[in-house]
Amino acid sequence: MDPLLLVLLIVIGLGAGILGALFGLGGGIIFVPVLLLMGLEPTEAVAISLIGIIAGSVGASTVYVDKGLSNVRLGLLLEITTATGAIIGAIVATYLEEWVLMVIFAIIVYFSGYRMIRSPETIVHPSEDARGRYAFSYRDEASGEDVSYELQHVRGGMALCTVAGMISSMTGVGGGMVKVPLMNLYMHVPMKTASATSSYMIGITAFSGAITYFLGGQVLLEYAAGIAIGAFLGSLAGTVVTRRINARHLRKYFSVVVFIMATIVLLQAAGVLRWN
Amino acid sequence: MELNRSTALMLRAVVVIGMILMVAGIAAELLGMGDGLLYAGILVLILSPFAGIIVSLACLLKERDMFWAMVAGILLAITVVGILISL
Repeated sequence: MDPLLLVLLIVIGLGAGILGALFGLGGGIIFVPVLLLMGLEPTEAVAISLIGIIAGSVGASTVYVDKGLSNVRLGLLLEITTATGAIIGAIVATYLEEWVLMVIFAIIVYFSGYRMIRSPETIVHPSEDARGRYAFSYRDEASGEDVSYELQHVRGGMALCTVAGMISSMTGVGGGMVKVPLMNLYMHVPMKTASATSSYMIGITAFSGAITYFLGGQVLLEYAAGIAIGAFLGSLAGTVVTRRINARHLRKYFSVVVFIMATIVLLQAAGVLRWN
Repeated sequence: MELNRSTALMLRAVVVIGMILMVAGIAAELLGMGDGLLYAGILVLILSPFAGIIVSLACLLKERDMFWAMVAGILLAITVVGILISL
């Protein structure tokens, strides 16, 4: 492989890794279109993208999980339905028009982004007497405070994650863009935890797809390695920023980034940036 | 936070091994020595989240946190089913 191409792949991975770690996104929205532009086939692009997503997710997790920012229990819980949804989605995908899903997805993401800009974050503190199984806390390094919160709408959140998983596997994007607002707005999880937990979850979601493609011999090894190495390093860099950043700002920036990405998805659905 | 520490440690161990194998694999490839190392490195990377779930389950069982151990167990089962379906 041309060393310059390798460097380019690493740089792309770096960018997506930083962005992903910062906002709890996977990076697929960057990887897939870029790889297609580089001339890869859709399946090749998606396969490499999933591997890059895992690298970024695990990279961010080594910091976020260790520091207690990722809520592992919540991640495992929501992944039950997300992974189920992803399996269903992969089966259903053959029967449905992809563009319909992408439009629905974009609408959901626009709405979430709008809500996140407009509504202040509401955290529900665990009641003093009954510290239930859904009460958690984390230490915010930027403010120096311990933040306690209690999950709300757990069953609803799990149900919605099934949809998130389905959309995710049908369109190749949207893990974090749906999960972060779902956790933050609907389940009242503090923003940094929502984003860090999403980072941790995304690797698990991407795993099933990645292993399938890999064992099927559909992965271009050098491309995957370049993207993965970049994404891993980028995610580590991203975690440094997240830990220092003010949670309110993170919320606002997230909305902006997500608006841009939803627009990219809409353009893809409209055929302007078509990928298959 | 035993659960978080242990999970993070496992993730870190596996991903670092994967990264080292990948870097070595790229070097080997550029030197014309085949792609075995590269293949191994990517496989290890892909398996890292799966390894994480296993460690999380083990931790939760050890801490007798049964509700969450059950959650982890269910997820592990679903993940394995997903792999088997796609094989």
